[in-house]
Amino acid sequence: MKNYQLAWRNLWRNKRRTLITAASVFFAVFFALVMRSFQLGTYEKMYRDVIESYSGYLQLQHSDYLDESNLDNGFVLEQPLTDIIESDPNVTGVIPKLESFALAASGSRTQGVMVIGMDPDNEQKTLNIKNRLIKYRLTPDATEALKEEKLPARTAKLVDVFSGEAWTDEKSLISDLGISDDDSAAVMPLFRKHASLDSRYLTSADSGSAVIGYGLSRYLSADVGDTLVVMGQGYHGVSAAGLFVIKGIVSMPNPEIDNAFVYITLADAQYLYAASGMVTSAIISISDTDDKELLQTQQRLAASCNSGLVIRNWKEMNALLLNQMEADNKSGAIMIGILYLVIAFGVFGTVLMMMAERRREFGMLVSIGMQKRKLAGIVGMEMLFIGLLGVVAGVAASLPVVYYGYARPLRFTGEMAKMYEEYGFEPVMPMLLPDTYYLWQAVIVLLILLIAITFSVRRIFKLNIINALRA
Amino acid sequence: MKVVEINDVFKTYHDTEVEVKAVNGVTLSFERGDFAVIVGPSGSGKTTLLNLIGGLDQPTAGEIIVAGHRLSELKPSELIDFRMEHVGFVFQSYNLIPVLTASENVGFIMSLQKWPKEKRIARTDEMLQSVGLADRHKSRPAQLSGGQQQRVAVARALAPRPEFILADEPTANLDTKSAETLLDIMEKLNREEEMTFIFSTHDARVVKRARRVITLEDGKVVSDERTNHNS
Repeated sequence: MKNYQLAWRNLWRNKRRTLITAASVFFAVFFALVMRSFQLGTYEKMYRDVIESYSGYLQLQHSDYLDESNLDNGFVLEQPLTDIIESDPNVTGVIPKLESFALAASGSRTQGVMVIGMDPDNEQKTLNIKNRLIKYRLTPDATEALKEEKLPARTAKLVDVFSGEAWTDEKSLISDLGISDDDSAAVMPLFRKHASLDSRYLTSADSGSAVIGYGLSRYLSADVGDTLVVMGQGYHGVSAAGLFVIKGIVSMPNPEIDNAFVYITLADAQYLYAASGMVTSAIISISDTDDKELLQTQQRLAASCNSGLVIRNWKEMNALLLNQMEADNKSGAIMIGILYLVIAFGVFGTVLMMMAERRREFGMLVSIGMQKRKLAGIVGMEMLFIGLLGVVAGVAASLPVVYYGYARPLRFTGEMAKMYEEYGFEPVMPMLLPDTYYLWQAVIVLLILLIAITFSVRRIFKLNIINALRA
Repeated sequence: MKVVEINDVFKTYHDTEVEVKAVNGVTLSFERGDFAVIVGPSGSGKTTLLNLIGGLDQPTAGEIIVAGHRLSELKPSELIDFRMEHVGFVFQSYNLIPVLTASENVGFIMSLQKWPKEKRIARTDEMLQSVGLADRHKSRPAQLSGGQQQRVAVARALAPRPEFILADEPTANLDTKSAETLLDIMEKLNREEEMTFIFSTHDARVVKRARRVITLEDGKVVSDERTNHNS
């Protein structure tokens, strides 16, 4: 009989204990993976949202701009420098950007806003703001009107739950409001009638137009076609004032940005702030966004910068967000640590029980001629089998949950959503698809098992046969 | 031919305050084919002497030579191999491996010794036949009675043809019928395979069958008698 066969049979001599121990490993792995997937998925979404809707991976900036983000730290982007940057093999484009603060008013309400001037045609190569144009929204009026209509019961209930929300595509609206394929043909015309929004994107030729964030539009009660009054301070203290017709409304992922986002053409922004030819930064779009390649590209481009200008990567530009995520990551790691600590005690308890119960058997096996190293190998295998059972089951059970959570991110509503938004986060928790973090959970469980195995092996090597046979 | 030689062996245990001489200057030898019992009151040193002969314990002084091996010269791992090759153990409480069937238990030591599979199976069948359990070869220990389990234990001990069998109170947990059956089997194997049996026992049924009776008291041999009993 092979050692592994004996180990496998030993495993099932006390089925209940084996199953309880394997189940404890299973739950630890399952919860750790699901928790970690939520955590890492949320971080990745936040990073991606910031990069894709605002900062890009790399930016050319004045060296003082990071600390003092104002027009006085703007610069004139010379064409030769743009050409040099664009000649880098990893660079796919340079998007000049002029950004400053102002007050925006519509009707009787005023709000501090962030005015961003970019060339829309050029910007679309890197950022995905256009994809965030709102197609449907449940304003209070739209909600009431839909409730008057004959909607399926589930959808009618969800219309209340999602009141105030907006959607950038029909598919997610159908999914969120639980509209079945059968009902779709009857229900969607009602949504198109009451909740659709004729939101359009800017083009480079759109002088005097703006695209604003959904949060800002709600605060100002401003809609597509309304006029936005923008007032602020221009370059070198010149007063800045302008009127912009709202052409489109976008849903920006970060609530802080969404509540203050005003996007106009670069030419309009330069005119508004009396900063002719100037930019505050230039987003550099790249093809290979891998961390290593990103840093190498940054280093190459930094060498070609004029004095006073620097290349900053997204991590340097979003240090606060990274720190927040790092702190959250640490607290998550502590939670998972506690989870594994509980499991470690469970596994250790099983080892102690098993060693005590089988002491006489071990004494007998060594006395009839089984070498202690062979016995230790069999006992080690038993522990490994229990661990692998738990790990494999935990991983298998987590996969459908993680894939579902990735495809259908958890979206908070009500108080929970408000709490998230107060912290500046979109109330959405997507999951991250299996990655190296899966491997790490297996490594942690194997380390726990290794400690348990080391303990049992030590006890076997120190076994006193006479005492064991008397046990 | 001498299988076991015990020369002036002492075994002293140091309890918290009292020094206990479990074996106190024993000199003995066992010949091939012996069917010997060691008797004596509780605490007389029977089990300790058996443990010393089987290499499970080391004497405080003196020398034990088994099949040409001086046990005191062997390292712990060599002692384990020595036991596997030369000694068969039958314990009071059977000590079968609960997850193995009767035939797997009988073949276990042979598989440790890496016998070829065909030879191992043939020998296992032969031994199960000898102990009258051929029809129970697939049964696990929990499915066997105490007497049957002890017969499997005897078959396991004898299967690899060791130099001798050490049996510590083998009938203590058995009813009369099972004990008699077991003793019949051991006598038969002693006769047919010329196997040396050394028992420690309180059981008169075992003593009655023995051809040699060694009496221990306070760790000393007080008598060593050959009997007329002829199996």
